Amino acid sequence: MAGRGMAREIEPAISARGVIKSFGRQRVLDSLTVDIPYGVTYCLLGPNGSGKTTFIRAIVRLLHLDGGEMSVLGRPVSEVDEIYSQIGYMTQHKALYPDLTVQENMEFYAGLYGLKKQQRVARLEELLEMVDLSEHSGRLAGALSGGMYQRLSLACTLIHEPELLLLDEPTVGVDPRLRQTFWEYFGRLTQEGKTVLITTHLMDEAEKCQRVGYMRAGRMAAEGTPEEILRQAGLRPILKLWLAEPERDAVLLRAEGYEIDVVGGVVQVRLESHARIKEVLAAVSPLDMRLAEPKLEEAFLRLSEAA
Amino acid sequence: MNPSPARAGVVALRVVRQLKRDRRTIGLIVFAPIVLMILFGYALSGDMSGVHLGLVDGGGHAALRAHLVSIQDFDILRLGSESDAERLISEGRLDGAVVLGPEGVRVLLDSSSLQIAGAIAAAVQAGAAKEKTGLQTAGQQKAQESAITTRYIFGYDLVMMDTVGPAILGLVVFFFTFINAAIAFIRERSQGTLEKFMVSPLSRVEMVSGYVLGFSLFTILQSATTLFVVTFGFGVPLRGSPITALAVVLLLGAGALVLGSFFSNFARSEFQVVQFIPLIITPQIVLCGIWWPLESVPEFIRPFSYMLPLTYAAHALRAVMLKGAGVADILYPDLLALGIFFLIFSAAATMMLRREVA
Repeated sequence: MAGRGMAREIEPAISARGVIKSFGRQRVLDSLTVDIPYGVTYCLLGPNGSGKTTFIRAIVRLLHLDGGEMSVLGRPVSEVDEIYSQIGYMTQHKALYPDLTVQENMEFYAGLYGLKKQQRVARLEELLEMVDLSEHSGRLAGALSGGMYQRLSLACTLIHEPELLLLDEPTVGVDPRLRQTFWEYFGRLTQEGKTVLITTHLMDEAEKCQRVGYMRAGRMAAEGTPEEILRQAGLRPILKLWLAEPERDAVLLRAEGYEIDVVGGVVQVRLESHARIKEVLAAVSPLDMRLAEPKLEEAFLRLSEAA
Repeated sequence: MNPSPARAGVVALRVVRQLKRDRRTIGLIVFAPIVLMILFGYALSGDMSGVHLGLVDGGGHAALRAHLVSIQDFDILRLGSESDAERLISEGRLDGAVVLGPEGVRVLLDSSSLQIAGAIAAAVQAGAAKEKTGLQTAGQQKAQESAITTRYIFGYDLVMMDTVGPAILGLVVFFFTFINAAIAFIRERSQGTLEKFMVSPLSRVEMVSGYVLGFSLFTILQSATTLFVVTFGFGVPLRGSPITALAVVLLLGAGALVLGSFFSNFARSEFQVVQFIPLIITPQIVLCGIWWPLESVPEFIRPFSYMLPLTYAAHALRAVMLKGAGVADILYPDLLALGIFFLIFSAAATMMLRREVA
């Protein structure tokens, strides 16, 4: 285990170098290069058909690469079959048996991963509570609502406490309150050193991740922490000021070197960093103010336009 | 990773849980064979009409052959060899046979129905007499006369249901297992569970063996009820051990399961599975020797009959039920052929499981 501890510091959990995959004439992964470190929640964003699901399926070797190199948990991807017990994979097709009950579905997956009875009972109880299905354990999976079905699928994916979680759109159809619970749970997992890779369409979810990769046409269009991505896109926080004499103060601030726009009598200052707020407030005394943080969505729009 | 019986057991338990909950399928598995048997039983329980006479034509004796063929009561079945004829008589499927050859005429008769045997012997004598008048010299006539030999074989006096019943037991199991397995594997794909298995410690061999185990329980249930109806309802003899009969059926069922799994790769929906029935099931019904003996199937199609598992299962079940054969008697070729069929298609099904995802 000491050896692996060392490896963790050097190697990422998933590393892809120039990965290529084509389906017929269409190149779905086009020299994709990315490192996903251990112990983070990593969000893969991107429009439909950008290659997110293909990338996840390549990680678990459900398809063979046409080129490039990839390693998963310190092993070349060709050996990934040997560490399947450390991977939790949740597909977009929920992978449940509608004619089994909630509990039977979970017991089945627990059995596949060889969980002993005592361990299984405790794990089932914990996960049922996490996905808020304790009261429905005897219900047929086929009779659950869409969101419940999704939650059960997540619980089945987590049953064997995997080191690496690959979740393809795990929060589709899950209500906001429960989504919050999921994210808290993912946070706990990364604190334990587990790695969570998630694909999503939801920008607000991406902002909860430690790292974000934005895929377009099989490549990483942008990659890093949410803050790094905003910076890459040239997006900065904007301080909106309601002033008694907006025209005069705008001239004043411009003279001090700030980028200023006046929109409908409101002075908008583009900040280099949040630290400069204090300096702005030393120069003018606003009647009211608001800080507008840049949105990841805007950053991605800009970045994809640039690409 | 080494195959683990425990993981296969987990799959088996799941298959049982699913089928158990599916009452309609259970009903179909158990009651459909009973209904089928009752229908066949009443339709086929009469005595076989006419005299079933085998004819092995080794050349010559044109007048005798023409005479036999011209007799209205005789239902002539052309056979390839004397040993085929002998076997069919001993199984009760022919009343007798005439073997024509350059060295003479041999008449095989079933000792269990002497009246019919007498009729056949008389017809052969009459035919031979006709042939004699057509011959030129006294020497030729003499040679002809001495060349007719008669041999009695111990056969059965069977009704049609007796010979068809055991084979139908096999057909029923094959049909339902094939369809159910193909549908189950289609669902594994469309539900996404197959993809998830591929990313789990469960190996393909464990998955297929889990299915074989789980389905076997239902095969036993199905064949036991069918066997019960056939023997107690219709008085088909069960001279051998029911355990041996079940073993044959289980091996056949395992073959049908892997065949279903293999063919599920070529169907996109449950509906398309139904379309396999004319392709996979019908040839077996026609060619496996349930309704008419294999020996009467044209020779160029016969090799095909010997590639079908139901051919061997039907033969083995007849041997066990009608002749009291034990495992040792049906080991070769029947159990061996069923075993080989199972192994070939489990390898193919296992390979296709991976191919589908990659």
